[in-house]
Amino acid sequence: MSDGKRTNLIDRTISRRQFLKYSVYSAAGVYVGVNGLAWAQGASGGEIVWMGHQEVAGLGPNDIGADVHAAVIFNVLNPLVHVNHVTETEMVLAREVEVAADGLTYTFHLHQDVRFHDGSEFTADDVKYTYEFYAQPGNTVASRFIGMREVEVVDRYTARVHMDSVNAAFLRVAGEVPIVPAAYHASVGDDGFRTAPIGTGAFTVASWRPAESTVLAAFPGHFRGAPLVDTLRLDVVPEPSVRTIALLTGDADGTVWPLSTEDNIDFMDDPDFRVVATNWNSPRHIPLNTRLPQLSDKRVRQAMMFALDRQRIVDDLESGFGTVATSHLAPHNPFYNPNVPLYPYDPERAKSLLDEAGWTVGSDGIRVKDGMRLSFTCTTISGDQTRRPMAELAQIFLREVGVEMQLAEAPVASILEGLRQGTLEASLFNWTMGSTTDPSPTSTLLSNGGDNFTGFANEEMDRLIQEGLNVVDPAARMPIYARTQELFAEEVPALLLHFNQGVLVFSNRMKGLPEVITSSTPLFYRGNEYSKG
Amino acid sequence: MPSYLTFRILKGLFVVVLISVLTFIVMRLMPGDPVYLLLGDGQIPITDEQIAAIRAKWGLDRPLPEQYLVWAANLLRGDFGESLIRAGVPVRDMIFEAIPVTALLNVYALGLAILVALPMGIAAAVRRNTWVDYTTNIVSALGIATPNFWLALMLIVVFALQLRWLPPFGLRSWQGFILPVVVMATEEMAVLMRITRGAVLELLPQDFVRTARSKGLSERRVLYRHVVANALLPVVTVIGFRVAFILSGTIIVETVFALPGIGRLFVDSVLRLDYQVVQSLVVVFAVLVVFVNLITDFLYALVDPRIRIS
Repeated sequence: MSDGKRTNLIDRTISRRQFLKYSVYSAAGVYVGVNGLAWAQGASGGEIVWMGHQEVAGLGPNDIGADVHAAVIFNVLNPLVHVNHVTETEMVLAREVEVAADGLTYTFHLHQDVRFHDGSEFTADDVKYTYEFYAQPGNTVASRFIGMREVEVVDRYTARVHMDSVNAAFLRVAGEVPIVPAAYHASVGDDGFRTAPIGTGAFTVASWRPAESTVLAAFPGHFRGAPLVDTLRLDVVPEPSVRTIALLTGDADGTVWPLSTEDNIDFMDDPDFRVVATNWNSPRHIPLNTRLPQLSDKRVRQAMMFALDRQRIVDDLESGFGTVATSHLAPHNPFYNPNVPLYPYDPERAKSLLDEAGWTVGSDGIRVKDGMRLSFTCTTISGDQTRRPMAELAQIFLREVGVEMQLAEAPVASILEGLRQGTLEASLFNWTMGSTTDPSPTSTLLSNGGDNFTGFANEEMDRLIQEGLNVVDPAARMPIYARTQELFAEEVPALLLHFNQGVLVFSNRMKGLPEVITSSTPLFYRGNEYSKG
Repeated sequence: MPSYLTFRILKGLFVVVLISVLTFIVMRLMPGDPVYLLLGDGQIPITDEQIAAIRAKWGLDRPLPEQYLVWAANLLRGDFGESLIRAGVPVRDMIFEAIPVTALLNVYALGLAILVALPMGIAAAVRRNTWVDYTTNIVSALGIATPNFWLALMLIVVFALQLRWLPPFGLRSWQGFILPVVVMATEEMAVLMRITRGAVLELLPQDFVRTARSKGLSERRVLYRHVVANALLPVVTVIGFRVAFILSGTIIVETVFALPGIGRLFVDSVLRLDYQVVQSLVVVFAVLVVFVNLITDFLYALVDPRIRIS
């Protein structure tokens, strides 16, 4: 621009027509700029809606236990590591972990330049604060830190965990506890944090109405890049058939909690939806109170296993969505041992085992021994329409070999208390035995385990569990847990039924689901990777 | 009158205190322990130290009378405490967030029921044994016999899934109210229709109606001025009773339509042994029912000149 043609822009006047023209150009430029950038990043904007069945009661690290909570929390807060959708340990805020050969130190090398939602930087101090705070006994996640002594801040981006005793499960169990910003958490307290969390996650909490919906807004400063959608919403829809309808009407894109089996089958034939079926980590099983005289003989328990036609339970009551359990660990668990004693449906074998154990058939068809009937009560969860029929079918199978299993119902809280105190004789559920996070059955099969619902006490099992916890190398742990599974199959502290398949349905409107999935809950931790088509 | 009022208020207070004590005892007698529910599903080991620390945090390790007195004293100061499950959230906030949803549902449903049921009930009585009467009776019988749960799902299938006119759940827009209100109003409508019809039928042959007619009043005037005005008494009774049933009456509708109302809050809290929420909710409703009963008694006097409060 020559001096002669220079124009004083301030003094220059433009016509209304020119003003409108420039305004349109400017607006178009801004639009193209913003959307072009978003397009380049693969952003689609919009909203993804998931549905859960129960309220999201809190948003802090103490709340990660329930799937519906975890689906929200892990999009707001990040842990150092995750056990991901293919049950592998995946680095999140940690870029590398070094585990000492003796298993007594874990050195976490952290990602740099990671920001919390308030703009503050994530450092090793936050790791130290988080782990040492949540290891205190008043926290629901405290037991994940068993064996931890302290966290040392080596430098700004390196945290080292020192253990008092080896806890082989530490990395996958404690490593999943999400990191909180030390300064903010200290200022609001844990209860305050649960209602207004700040994390390094891909989303911030836009609104939280626990019984209705939780809305998360994209956090553009996320260290792995901005999410592809503007908002992520989790609606609380308790009724499964309404969740189905909401998927069909487009009011939701996925469900965190399963639908009815009939609806799952319908969705399998619908090209607009993807049905993700994965075996649950824990088998449906009937924990038996082995302290009872009529259930203390392992031959009786083995006989009951032979008496159950478990494939028929899967076919008739799960519409085929399940795998008969041969171990308390699921087939997709890296520590699963397929070479254990098996219990095919064989009522004759069951009868001969019971005869061998001294139980003879009484006048009413129920076996007796020393004046005692071979009878016990299985208490199922009140209103549990899914598992109650399984108990009824099992009751028929057991009756055929002379074992009486009476049925009762009680609320879940009273069942848990009764089992822990040893006052209940049996139950039927599937959330305790087995986990992909760690193969150790410490809480369920250790003689003094907190959730040893069966009262199982076996010296070899205790020794193996302690040994397994003191070995960190997965390869070295493998034979230990192979043996615990063999022992379980021989001793039968619980009647293993089957691994039912958790079936979740996603609309194809939601793009970006991984191809291979062996564990479905972690799918919801990756909200930043999904877009709306 | 003031002494009667004082007596009724004192009686009401006694009822509320009694209910609060009974609720406290019943909740503690319920099998189960909220601490175990709080600690989760058992895949991660639980230590005794953890259990003790959580009990101490919530005061559950104190003697029961002390727990009750602390809770009652706080309640008198307007402090409902904090939810065991939703830690950090005051129970008062939870209740006052849920009440408007349930209150609106009930007000709309009752309004709709009255709007439809009164004219139909009156028409059925006036045109007794005609097609109007038969239709009203059939509609009313269907309304009472149809389960709320089934009706709700059918309406969702038709209006949300097939026609796509209304949302299947939630209250993100005013349209979200339509289906739950219709479901709730249906049963209410059926009951009110029958009550109105019965009341009008009972009044039509009365002497004062004959007198009104003999004075030469038009049939319309006789009906509305003399018959319907008197038939309102049982309607007021039903409305009074309805408040007592708000908790139970909305649970199904709130669950199916995923509405965050008081009925769902109550059931969820009972199932999770959330002592503070259940106790506070029961006291709030006890106060409400006592208050509404009081108001209903006074309304009787207003609507029916034959009743005098003394």
